[in-house]
Amino acid sequence: MTSAELEIDGLRRRYGTVTALDGLTFGVPAGQVFGFLGPNGAGKTTTMRAIFGVTALDAGEIRWRGQPVDEAARRTFGYMPEERGLYPAMMLFDQVEYFARLHGMDAAAAAKAAGYWIDRLGLSGRGRTRVDALSHGNQQRAQLAVALVHDPELLVLDEPFSGLDPGGIDDMSSILAERAAEGVTVLFSSHQLDLVEDLCEAVAIIYRGRLVVAGAVADLRRGDHPRLAVRVAGDRTAAWSAGVGSAVASVESIRTDGTAEIALTNSADSQAILDLARAAGAVEHFAFEDRSLSEVFRVATGASVGQAEAEHAAASRTTSVTTGAGL
Amino acid sequence: MLRETSGPRSAARPSRPWQLTWLVASREIRLRVKTRVFVVTSVILLLAVALAVALPAILSGKRKPDRIGVVGGTTTTITSLITEAGRASGGQALAVSEPSLATAEAALRKGDLSAVLVPGQEIIVNQVPLGGVTGSVATLQQLAGLAKLIQTVPGAAQAVAHGVALPVRGLEPPKASLSSRLTGLFTVIIVWILISTYGSQIALGIGEEKSSRVVEVLLSSVRPVQLLIGKVLGIGLLALAQAVAMVVVFIVAGFASGSDLVHGATLGVVIVGGVFIILGYAFYCTAFAAAGSLVSRQSDVNSTIMPVQLPLILAYALSYTVIYANGANTFYHVLGFLPPTAPIAMTVLYASGDVPVWQVVVAAALTAVGTVWMARIAVRIYANSILKTGPRISFRQAIRESRRA
Repeated sequence: MTSAELEIDGLRRRYGTVTALDGLTFGVPAGQVFGFLGPNGAGKTTTMRAIFGVTALDAGEIRWRGQPVDEAARRTFGYMPEERGLYPAMMLFDQVEYFARLHGMDAAAAAKAAGYWIDRLGLSGRGRTRVDALSHGNQQRAQLAVALVHDPELLVLDEPFSGLDPGGIDDMSSILAERAAEGVTVLFSSHQLDLVEDLCEAVAIIYRGRLVVAGAVADLRRGDHPRLAVRVAGDRTAAWSAGVGSAVASVESIRTDGTAEIALTNSADSQAILDLARAAGAVEHFAFEDRSLSEVFRVATGASVGQAEAEHAAASRTTSVTTGAGL
Repeated sequence: MLRETSGPRSAARPSRPWQLTWLVASREIRLRVKTRVFVVTSVILLLAVALAVALPAILSGKRKPDRIGVVGGTTTTITSLITEAGRASGGQALAVSEPSLATAEAALRKGDLSAVLVPGQEIIVNQVPLGGVTGSVATLQQLAGLAKLIQTVPGAAQAVAHGVALPVRGLEPPKASLSSRLTGLFTVIIVWILISTYGSQIALGIGEEKSSRVVEVLLSSVRPVQLLIGKVLGIGLLALAQAVAMVVVFIVAGFASGSDLVHGATLGVVIVGGVFIILGYAFYCTAFAAAGSLVSRQSDVNSTIMPVQLPLILAYALSYTVIYANGANTFYHVLGFLPPTAPIAMTVLYASGDVPVWQVVVAAALTAVGTVWMARIAVRIYANSILKTGPRISFRQAIRESRRA
């Protein structure tokens, strides 16, 4: 990745005996929707809080356009924390306007922007409604309006898709894509790796406070060895695949329906494999398949996302240290 | 870089720290001033102050002199007797000449007279109260009897006319007048009400920000210290406005009703009280803020602010023993110099005349120093606790962790 606009460089943070960040490093390119992925407890929220100076770091630096992030830079950032929060008794318009002003907008510009974003997010006519009287979905939109109202150059959203229905996920992802198209750098986190693989261009996947892998989603899913999935009718154990030469390709696994997953090197000839399969019987399925991001995670860490989260949950129960980050 | 054209353009500019602090403060003010609760409580408080000042003066001004009918016409001696009886009973009595017993009794029945004196014989009232007569009539009963007894002594009547009560002399003059003490009591009630009311509003407001989690969004653009100062400044300005309004009402209502409370030394008590309202608020506001930051649920706020309020409660409760006694004990004197209790205790000591002005100045200076010290600890506790969720954090834990942070 070249020309990272936001650089996360060697972040370290310990809470008592718990290591939340362990030398985390990655970069977010400008104007992209960038997924920041990992199981619960991997350190995503701590990292995002560190971007806003809400969490102190033991070591490391966060740079924005080459400069260490300071208060002036942060005022051009928009933030939607994992634990949503607005003033419950404050009216929607007042609230959005207030946050616009806290980001340095003057009164007139703040009022105009608040009105614009309330309409833009489908909350027209709700400006004079108390936030706690809004529906759950509308409160989410209000939270997004607060993050967007000052037209940030960097948008940081912690688990923006959690708790949304499929329609809400579509709305949210189209807004993020639209922001990115207009030049905004969008960084969002998710622990649901597969849910968001179509929603972002590039990702960084972290585990135990360290980077596992980062890059364009398409590259990561294809991997160094493109995967071929082949199934021969009647061959439930994919016995035919024993003939695949290990020099150019290797059988990664065999699914219960008899489909063989074969990893190819660049020089491999997929047609030779098709011939091999065809010789064994009728070929029912023959296709290049991308790996899911959770599989990329599993291959890289040796643990599934589910295992990693269970391990984190168990560790949280045995330690009384408050990390400040919610589960 | 490609920028959008549809939405309003970013007007985000660098803000000065005080601008953000003022934004936070003005939100606190607007939020509260608009509510009906604030308007109603302000009106009630001001009315209470006006009544407390004006009512005693109005009531005492309205007390009419007792009219005592004298059957057979007044003489100088009898008039003096009646006047003296009124003065000795703490009121006023007026002799009214009545031509006959019949007219006197008629006037008594109509309520034109309080009592009728038949010199040398009897005193008639409309109805004898169960506990016997009181006030000027009771005094007159004794004086008239005494006069009858000594009528034979030459010059006795003149002696009675010049007053029969012996003067009482104190070896030491009283340290402060009752009105000064009452003003002191009134002032510490205001100090107590303002600090505890607005202090708990600070704690509740911060508890709300923490429990609703809005604080994380706030802290992404505002530093904890700015947020805290903005909050206590906004609420403090409201408290100050209310205090000033109460003092204005106190002075206006006092002068309008001719109350003793606004004369002379009591104004000094009001000024000392005003200084200590500000110092007391300054000392306590950050402590209340720190207490509010320890909870995860707003309903826990009441239990965390209790230890903060304890010194105030102590000083306030003991203030009654000083107001109604000549001389404060050493313990209360010490409280007058400790920053947590000085705002109440020193005001009371000054009002009761137990301390010279230089001691008030020393106590104020100590409180100011204590305020800075308290603010430094409280800001650290606040910044360290405001994002911690989970069970309520104890003060001890918060202080320990804030030292490490």
